[in-house]
Amino acid sequence: MVADPLLRTEGLSLRYPSGTLALDELTVDVPRGSVGLVGANGAGKTTLLRLALGQLRPTAGTIEVVGRDVADDPIGVRAHIGFMPEHDCLPPDQTAADVVATLGELAGLPPRSARQRASEVLDLVDLDEARFRPIGGFSTGMRQRTKLAQAIVADPEIVLLDEPTAGLDPIGREEMLALVGRLAGFGISALVATHLLDDVQRVCDRVVMIDGGKLRHTGATQALLHRTGALRVQVDDDAARLADLLGAAGVAVTVVDDATLDVRVDADEGLVLDLVRDGADDLGLALHAMTTRRTSPDELFLDQPR
Amino acid sequence: MSAPLLPPAGAVYDRGYRPYEGERGGRGAARAALVRLSIRRALGLRRSWRQKVLPWSLLAIATIPAVVNVGVKYITRNTPASDFDLITFREYVGVSTTLLLFVAITAPDMVCPDRRNRVLPLIFARPLTGNDYVLAKVGALTAILFGFSFLPQVVLFVGQMLVVREGAIDFVTENAEVLWQVPVAVALFSLYWATLALAISATTARRVVGGVALLATVLVSGAVASILVSAGGADPERIFEDGSLWGLLSLVDIPLRMSDLVFLGHVDPGSLVGGAEGAGTGVVLVYVAVVAGSLGYLVYRYRRVE
Repeated sequence: MVADPLLRTEGLSLRYPSGTLALDELTVDVPRGSVGLVGANGAGKTTLLRLALGQLRPTAGTIEVVGRDVADDPIGVRAHIGFMPEHDCLPPDQTAADVVATLGELAGLPPRSARQRASEVLDLVDLDEARFRPIGGFSTGMRQRTKLAQAIVADPEIVLLDEPTAGLDPIGREEMLALVGRLAGFGISALVATHLLDDVQRVCDRVVMIDGGKLRHTGATQALLHRTGALRVQVDDDAARLADLLGAAGVAVTVVDDATLDVRVDADEGLVLDLVRDGADDLGLALHAMTTRRTSPDELFLDQPR
Repeated sequence: MSAPLLPPAGAVYDRGYRPYEGERGGRGAARAALVRLSIRRALGLRRSWRQKVLPWSLLAIATIPAVVNVGVKYITRNTPASDFDLITFREYVGVSTTLLLFVAITAPDMVCPDRRNRVLPLIFARPLTGNDYVLAKVGALTAILFGFSFLPQVVLFVGQMLVVREGAIDFVTENAEVLWQVPVAVALFSLYWATLALAISATTARRVVGGVALLATVLVSGAVASILVSAGGADPERIFEDGSLWGLLSLVDIPLRMSDLVFLGHVDPGSLVGGAEGAGTGVVLVYVAVVAGSLGYLVYRYRRVE
């Protein structure tokens, strides 16, 4: 159990009126900092965010945000949260400055402070020159940054970001990830819901992985990647024979091509390295390279037991 | 001799992110902000001149009868004709029906874009509930309609007070009842149209559809009521008591009959319900049903964020 968690759920379930079970007895503690909420489309990520905001009521279980029970005090919880939805949600006929200031006022800031804060956060997301232009003329990247600006305008303790890089080109994605990565430095914790695991690897310290509404994994991002790391071995040829030999010794191996194989390193890395070296020697194969290869986040997700 | 050191002409600072440490209101502040922002939008404040034309033109048009009446009183102040009123305070509440066009444009503009542009999830991520949203929108539109209906009455009252032959004090003494009748009648009128117009507008995300639906509902109900009253043997064009309770179906007539009750203590005999048994009670019941029904529908419509 995490001390003073950002978000805590206990047996949280939600079944929509249509009968779809979006969350199934989810119990998880999300610590403060930047946390990735990872799952495929339909895994229950957005549902969890809406439950955290009190916009949905759980069928069973409880959810707490910043130490407050959402069911008991949804208004109090929302006063501490910023939210960036996945979908387009900005009025095209208004300027970015107006929209962000308006939403700042609705978060309880006095009008003058809201306008000043809007100016500051739009400057922060690099929209200082565009802030008096109607949003209808904005690119997707500019809209996403406006959405982020409105989420942080009231200086929340936590921001819930739903697919923040969705629809962005590579440059826009880099800009957005850079901004999300800076949030922790501002004292704002972020729960980043995404199916793009590379994004999580880039900006999140920890990962909560859900699938079909159930918790699949939670832990530090680096530990997760390291734990499931692999060793890429390159020999001159006949990699299949070396794979057979290692397989017989109980090591999981994937043949990539005639001269390359990936060796799974689950526990004792030193022992595996010795087995590869001795196996290549026994078979008379020239060992060209052994490089530590971390499994990509996408492979990691697909490998999770279901 | 060395040149004196000059202070640098300018410097660039990266202010970065600054936490907000100022005043922070709660739900009450958020509600007040939503009312304020809705009024601002409806009146075209901080918007282009095009958005200002309609509301302020209509206010000017609604004030014309008062100005004309005061002008005529001034010109004829020393003749017996000065006792003649072009329009009475009670009738002037009815003239406010010219604001129906304004309501048909403003009410949809207050709620439809929030749904169409999917801004509601952002609004309800703030410390606001669906009921807060409904109360704020109804409050804002009621306040605007009250202002636009009351100001011309003030012009009429103050103008006449200044120009009448018998003097200001005598005029006020003779018309003391008007000082409570006008605000009450105008408030009832404003609340009625605000709730009904917003309820009809909330059925759709398209402003045009909302406005047309409101006008169609009002005009069709009036036409149907007239036909039914005529079919019952009455002649609604005749100014004597032969109306029927079918006249209660006319949505446009109900707030005018409420004004009758405030000013006269009974419904106007020349109206669609004039002379009908229990007409006054019927008017009150229909008024309450329309306002309560509209509010109930609005609360239902915004009970959950879509």
